[in-house]
Amino acid sequence: MPASPPLSLIVAVDTGGTFTDIAAFDRDRGEVAYAKALTTYGDLVDGVMDCVRAAGVELSRALLAKHGTTLVINTLLQRSGAKSALVTTRGFRDTLELARGNRTNPFDIGFRRAPPLIPRALRFEIDERVHGRGEVLAEPDPDEIDRLAETIAGLDVEAVAVSFLNAYRDDRNERAVAGRLRASLPGVYVTAGTEITREWYEYERCCTAAANAAVGPRMAAYAARLEKRLGEGGFASTLYMMGSNGGVLSVDRSLREPIALIESGPVGGCIGAGAYGEALGIENLIAFDMGGTTAKCAVIQGGAFGLSSPYFVGGYDTGFPIRGSVVDIVEVGAGGGSIAWVDDGRRLHIGPRSAGSDPGPAAFGRGGTEPTVTDANLVLGRIAAGEFLAGGLDLDRDAASRAIAERVAVPLGMDDRPIEATAEGMLSLAAVTMTGAIRRITVERGHDPRDFALFVFGGSGPIYASSLARELDIGTAIVPPEPGNFSAIGMLLADARLDVARTMIRDLDEDALCEIRAAFAEAERHGADIVAAEVPGATATLARSIELRYRGQKHSFVLPVTGLGDVAALRGAFEAYYRERFGHSDPVAPIEIVGIRVNAYANTEKPDLARLPRFEDETEAAASRPVWFGAAGGWIETPVRRRATLPPGFSAEGPLIVEEYGATTVLAPGDRCGVGALGEIRIEIGD
Amino acid sequence: MDDARRATEIDPITLEIIGHGLVAIPNEIDANITRTAFSPLVYEYKDFASGLVDAEGRLVAQGSGSIPIFVANALGVAVRDGIAVHGIDEIHDGDVLISNHAGTLGQHLNNVVMYTPVFAAPGELFGFMCVLVHWIDVGGSTVGSCSATDATEIFQEGIQFRSVKLWSKGVRNDDLYRIIEINTRFPTMVLGDLGSQLAGTLTGKKKFLALIERYGAARMRAAIDAIWDRSERVARKGVRDLPDGVWRAESFLDNDGIDGDVPVPVAVEVRIAGEAMTIDFSGVGGVLKGPLNSGIFGGAWPAARIAFKILTAPDEPANEGCFRPLEIVVPEGTFLSAPATAPMGMYSATLPTVIDTVVRAVGKADPARAAGGHHGTFAAHWFFGTDPATGALFQQLDTGHGGWGATAAGDGSGPYKTMAHGDTLDVPVEVQEALCPLLVETIALRPDSAGDGIHRGGLGTEKVVRVLSESGFSIQIDRTRCRPWGIDGGTEGAGADGTIEPAGGEPRRLLKGVTELKPGDRFRLRTGGGGGFGPPGARDPERVAADVAAGYVSREKARAVYRVALDPDGAVDRAATGRLRREGPGDL
Repeated sequence: MPASPPLSLIVAVDTGGTFTDIAAFDRDRGEVAYAKALTTYGDLVDGVMDCVRAAGVELSRALLAKHGTTLVINTLLQRSGAKSALVTTRGFRDTLELARGNRTNPFDIGFRRAPPLIPRALRFEIDERVHGRGEVLAEPDPDEIDRLAETIAGLDVEAVAVSFLNAYRDDRNERAVAGRLRASLPGVYVTAGTEITREWYEYERCCTAAANAAVGPRMAAYAARLEKRLGEGGFASTLYMMGSNGGVLSVDRSLREPIALIESGPVGGCIGAGAYGEALGIENLIAFDMGGTTAKCAVIQGGAFGLSSPYFVGGYDTGFPIRGSVVDIVEVGAGGGSIAWVDDGRRLHIGPRSAGSDPGPAAFGRGGTEPTVTDANLVLGRIAAGEFLAGGLDLDRDAASRAIAERVAVPLGMDDRPIEATAEGMLSLAAVTMTGAIRRITVERGHDPRDFALFVFGGSGPIYASSLARELDIGTAIVPPEPGNFSAIGMLLADARLDVARTMIRDLDEDALCEIRAAFAEAERHGADIVAAEVPGATATLARSIELRYRGQKHSFVLPVTGLGDVAALRGAFEAYYRERFGHSDPVAPIEIVGIRVNAYANTEKPDLARLPRFEDETEAAASRPVWFGAAGGWIETPVRRRATLPPGFSAEGPLIVEEYGATTVLAPGDRCGVGALGEIRIEIGD
Repeated sequence: MDDARRATEIDPITLEIIGHGLVAIPNEIDANITRTAFSPLVYEYKDFASGLVDAEGRLVAQGSGSIPIFVANALGVAVRDGIAVHGIDEIHDGDVLISNHAGTLGQHLNNVVMYTPVFAAPGELFGFMCVLVHWIDVGGSTVGSCSATDATEIFQEGIQFRSVKLWSKGVRNDDLYRIIEINTRFPTMVLGDLGSQLAGTLTGKKKFLALIERYGAARMRAAIDAIWDRSERVARKGVRDLPDGVWRAESFLDNDGIDGDVPVPVAVEVRIAGEAMTIDFSGVGGVLKGPLNSGIFGGAWPAARIAFKILTAPDEPANEGCFRPLEIVVPEGTFLSAPATAPMGMYSATLPTVIDTVVRAVGKADPARAAGGHHGTFAAHWFFGTDPATGALFQQLDTGHGGWGATAAGDGSGPYKTMAHGDTLDVPVEVQEALCPLLVETIALRPDSAGDGIHRGGLGTEKVVRVLSESGFSIQIDRTRCRPWGIDGGTEGAGADGTIEPAGGEPRRLLKGVTELKPGDRFRLRTGGGGGFGPPGARDPERVAADVAAGYVSREKARAVYRVALDPDGAVDRAATGRLRREGPGDL
């Protein structure tokens, strides 16, 4: 028998809405394999295994594997979670249904929120109470818990969520009830709100607990199937799941907190963007990811992206919130498949409806008759017939042109003008939606987009790199290698991570700082123990931050702190930070501490970025085609290059088209580009 | 001809792009104010609005999160008064004006509009950037200013600023800042909110200017005209879809706010002819003794405009064009068109009922376009006093949320706040308890509170708060007698109610008023349920059984009103239900 091969593969698999992607890096050979397979909704594990086969990955050589999945978000969006019960403080079983009383469309008389995750008949109350200022007014009676357990046992539920009022201040009652229910309800998944988040706002924490309960049993079943199938394929190493905070977590932890996987997919691209930003020495990046149905963006500073809480499942308007640390992403319904339509008021809209991959854009010739963003790109020569997905799909320019004429130009009364004007208008309007998203993630969070470079990936993103940057007055756009597989690449680069947050409302004074120091020490122990245990042999890296605000303000600002100096130093740092974001600060207004955060990391084995792009040695014959650039006067014969033939050091001027499997990059006249050491295309935007 | 001229100037796609750019400005400013404001009323309750108006005060764009009351163009009304007071030539670049003048805005004095002119070129006034913020206290007889339920004159409700310059040509008017500071009980919070309001006003101006520079003033004007025209077309189509005719409805308020038992009539007439609608408030009651009055631009206009938008163009961005097909008729001297000296502290409290009544009138023409009545009252309740833990003054203001009316499409929704509210969040119990000496014992759905029907109304709520220290308490509840009506055969929902339950004493009802509470005293608020749609005896028995299982509807009511019999497990007893329904409609 031959000696067992060395373990040298680092594998990342990302299950997305349309495709499942894999990236596998072989440390010994310095090679990367990429593949895509259709996501399989019957059982997501099938798509994962299809991908593994397509990339020719030998699972027995895997050193570790990381996996991002849409399982959690889809389970919640489709309401296909486990039948669950909820236990609350006496008087508050309706918190989950009452929500916050707001109506996001004030003029819609039929406005309605999505129904609560757990119906009223399955919501129970128990006598216990912690006051909002921390005093424990009543502890639960074990007999009452046991009686409740009996009731629940008769209901045929798979999961129970426990969420008590003010448990963020003192979780002893929640722990007592959850612990006793676990012991008396074997086989039932039990979760407590404060096991996931120790932040205030009872409705948000209750939703988080309910959602965690609903997905818990589904996650357990999925993980068991996945581990079994991977094991059958020879996999014998550690599997990590991709968390929404940008760190990976062990399968065990993901079973306790499946809700931590809510944005498991999109976060990969953000980690990747952060790693490239650091390696390239670019402090401020906007990560922009555009696929078939949506575009997403996030802000990355010093290699780190922002986290937000709450995150809304199903959107802010009618969805429900999840507390926890989720990468701060703004997502809009503008992708390659987004459909252009004209409303009764003769207004043009792009999306949010998408033609998806079936029937797909009109140009796919699969029965789609509605014009999409991809159709407009085809009509303008920005993508070429016969080049989509490396020629795997023939695109019909006439069909695209017809759809745009009939469904957009005629209803808008623009049919007396060349079709290119309408197609370009569609792209401009899609760009407005996308720049709107970028403004929200920057301007509304106190950043100026002009201080950032635009980092663009996703199958549909690089076409827009130049035009979005120009629209936002951003000087540089960067397209990384393999933009179509970039989420999986990002996952290859993820560390293990745990974020610990505690709400502690205190006036900023020396007494409070003593308490805060003790709380940091406790949170750091907790975080370090957990992440260190997840990566054998690793020690945890810790980062502290403190949430501060002027007393009375709603929004607190998270300030990274290294040590924790005295009150004056902290005050100075807060005011400087506030001035930078808002242009003013108040030297006398009292400052309040809202809470602390500890981020604990443990390094995992990662590939070298310079090894990720694939280059070919041969040069190719010069190619070109006409491409429409309205601002430059119309059709311009434009050089077309294949990306794999452009080595580091290559530079060129726009107009230029760069094509690769799954993505096309467009440079407008006046732009310049160069290929950097990591294989990235850097576009300097012309005037 | 106008349309043709405009079409040559601007293509539909550029128009769309400018339209997005205009709406984005107030939305960005809204987000920044939410992040930087100091008082929960602003950042949580979102009691503010930002928007752009043209040089004549016509609404160009308003933030989509704004409370609907302000969509009636409180911003433009303030600007027009500023131009009248100063003269157009005395409005300069770098000026920032404020107004809360009751005679102009017709709202409570806490609502302060701040605005600054935007010049496309020297001497070429293009428009104004405006931000309205509810200042949490502007003096007057009671903490919070607008909370004096016993006020009989506007002068008991705070200080007034009529179109005065906070900044003049870029120079800060320190005198006015001192006047503001000394006339509020919460100077830090008010000046903090003012700072956030000022930053929003100036940032919005910069963004407005950038857009004008990019497209040119002439093209921008053409675009704004076209945007108004298109919104007008959408609204006209909405009116055209409603049946022509004269439609009337009536409801009433519990009382005038001071003298307990005399109801105040709310009779409205809606005249629909082709593409035009008139909302006539000639039949509403006169000026009220208590602080429930509003001026014409704070009362009649917002009520009519909100109702109009609900009925004709709910999804259209708010701008001047949306309201062109609407004519508003109101004589002087009603509670919706009160003189400048009338008390207005709770000016908005009547509006949900007025709006509800307009919708009811149109429901008579076409029930499918309307809904049953909603709970219809702010049920504003304040706790205030000195926090024994800190020695500092506290105030906790919250409003009730209740059931909405059923529609032809389905059961009523909620609990939400009123038709005068929008994306308005309540304050979490955990925040109330952490910041104030209160203990909230429950907030729960109120079983059997919904009106019944083929579609039932949404449920009201019950909330109980215990005070932990000596506290002042102020309450303002209406619609306890004119309950949320049913429509097309549906029944009415439960009305609102408020009770003080002294520790160890007898409970007493308190609907409007100010009182003192001792530690251990409780306040119990019940909000109303929405009215039902269609006869309850025709509701699907399975849905009745589901409501009983959830505890929304009692077994007794299921049997008596819905005529549905359930077996001991809660399943529908088909045979018995058939018998009950054949016996006839229930005990309505």
